Amino acid sequence: MERETTETFVLGAGPTGLAVAACLRGRGLAFIQVDAAASVGSTWRGHYDRLHLHTMKAHSALPGLPFPDTAPRYPSRDQVVAYLEAYAAHHGLTPRLGERVQRARQAGDGWAIETDRRLYQARRLVVASGYNAVPRVPTWPGQPGFPGPIVHSRAYRSGAAYRGQRVVVVGNGNSGAEIALDLWEQGAAAVTLVLGGPRYVVPREVAGLGAQQVSLACTRLPRRVADAIARRTTRLAVGDLRPYGFREPKAGPITEVEVHGRVALIDVGTIALIKQGRIGTLVGLARFDGADVVGEDGRRVTADAVILATGYRAGLEAFLDVAAEVVDDRGYPRWHGVACPGHPGLYFAGFRNPATGALRESALEAERIAAAIAGA
Amino acid sequence: MELLDHWHPVCLSRELTHRPLRVWLGGVPYALFRSDGTVGALPDACPHRGMRLSTGRVRGGRLICPYHGWSFDAAGAGRAPGTPQMRPHTACLEAVERDGAVWMRRPGAASVFPAVGPGGYHPVSVTRHRAAAPLETTMDNFTEVEHTGVVHWMLGYAPEAAEAVQVEVTATPATVRVYNRGPQRPLPAPIRALVGLGTADDFVDDWTSHFSPVHTLFEQYWIDRATEQRRPATVRIAVVYTPVHADVTDIYTFVHTNAQGSGPRSLALRLLLRTFAEIEVRLDASLLSSLADPRPGLEGRRLGRFDKALRLQRQRIERLYRGAP
Repeated sequence: MERETTETFVLGAGPTGLAVAACLRGRGLAFIQVDAAASVGSTWRGHYDRLHLHTMKAHSALPGLPFPDTAPRYPSRDQVVAYLEAYAAHHGLTPRLGERVQRARQAGDGWAIETDRRLYQARRLVVASGYNAVPRVPTWPGQPGFPGPIVHSRAYRSGAAYRGQRVVVVGNGNSGAEIALDLWEQGAAAVTLVLGGPRYVVPREVAGLGAQQVSLACTRLPRRVADAIARRTTRLAVGDLRPYGFREPKAGPITEVEVHGRVALIDVGTIALIKQGRIGTLVGLARFDGADVVGEDGRRVTADAVILATGYRAGLEAFLDVAAEVVDDRGYPRWHGVACPGHPGLYFAGFRNPATGALRESALEAERIAAAIAGA
Repeated sequence: MELLDHWHPVCLSRELTHRPLRVWLGGVPYALFRSDGTVGALPDACPHRGMRLSTGRVRGGRLICPYHGWSFDAAGAGRAPGTPQMRPHTACLEAVERDGAVWMRRPGAASVFPAVGPGGYHPVSVTRHRAAAPLETTMDNFTEVEHTGVVHWMLGYAPEAAEAVQVEVTATPATVRVYNRGPQRPLPAPIRALVGLGTADDFVDDWTSHFSPVHTLFEQYWIDRATEQRRPATVRIAVVYTPVHADVTDIYTFVHTNAQGSGPRSLALRLLLRTFAEIEVRLDASLLSSLADPRPGLEGRRLGRFDKALRLQRQRIERLYRGAP
């Protein structure tokens, strides 16, 4: 097998990997970038058709290149993909595509990375493989008896395929809510959203001010104050959603994100349809019973298909030898944008999803990592 | 599919208050009312003795008939106070409030909700204007730019430059798309500055008509002729044509833009777009009332190069909207 040595190995050519590579290039640092997919931004390409950034383009650009002026405030999936391609071209990035990392381990004073083509030795390893690398697919009692398809949101493209069907969407994250909306718009006969644990709901915009802008303003305040403001604003903006099965978390909205890593649901229109009774809700999925989906309170909904918008995990343990020492109980790295203590030369970027915007966070982490590597 | 199977806007959200409202769709009256956060839509005649329900009032989420006090909820389930064991039922329509309008269709119809709120763009305004013309003739006005130079004051192309306007028509079984590009008519300098235009820009009006319901989605932007670079400002307009009666059409206009931020410049730009949309659509609507022959037929008319889409749209209206074989 071919062997190669480099200063820094960048794993991933999604938004974060590209941002890291651009920052390294900007400082004249040598690196090799590898991604298993055939193109940059492959996760974004694979998302469902109607997906838009939930954060504003002005606060979502990667280092060194703003979104084009002609893009809307919240760019669409295709516009994000086009931006990532332009970003790679602008910075002259040519990641090695279609090359999959199989194992990465500490070796000597650096890292040995084994792909399906080559063996690399690098002083530093920047892991930017994405927080949504592997679909999280839970199972429930009675599931094998469900006659219809059960698909993860990763395989979902558009509601057009479900016209006239009764569909249950599991998961009250952004994808679940947006997929439920898409299904309703595309003429599904009935749409039910299965709500999970307690979660805040915020509108994407209030009076022209984005949820992201509010979050950014709150980061400057003490957490208790920020929580109080955010809780009040949220209640005013969306009203009381408890009659529909939503539960409000005990902690304040800012604490939820910063301490518990749970982002609020940014509503793009689903809540209005739930309030109008056009999209039904079910609290917690307990089990399947034939073609019925049964909620925790025993209520049941008959479905022709089930979409699991149950999220993703990072899947670091699949290739990273020291994964167990560096991840938390949810499988995400414990350090972001800084060298991992005890594992010199190991960096993680793009594994957080704060209310201030995941892309914005990636950009900040990329800059920080490049600065650290340049200074080392 | 028939008329009622498509989602139609039947009034603006702000037009429906705590009182019931009478609206017409396809020559049939309906009573709209607000009921516990949802909207109810019932045929506007009490099943009892035919009173207009829209002249009643709303209490506890139920529409009460002003004649004998029978009341109905949004699902059409009725109560007769004098005969409690009787369960009078009236047909109901499915109503939903979205993008600043109230929409209605036959319950359970297999139609798709039109994409009038383009994801990612910032909403500017939603308006309703009434044209005294059939649906086809009203739509014709919105899907041809030759009139813009004569009728409008800001939108479109100067009459003397009409010859230079490019018109490309492409059709699929479900859509008709027209791409127009030509010199932007002269605009006052403050407006140019606000929108971010130069003095030698081309205006692009790129629209696609869809037919469930009949509506046209416009994307409008400008290109600097010298550099062929697209200017930052983009306006997205959705126009939905609701047939109120055979010869009366309501024009619902949903305006969106990519203009950023909440600064004074973008507020001024949004205000300009709002005013512009209001005035331009009002001009169209009042113009349509002066047609000597508003009938939808195209036989015997002398059509020009700007009118290519008209015939294609009529075929699709018949097939996709009215359900002709």
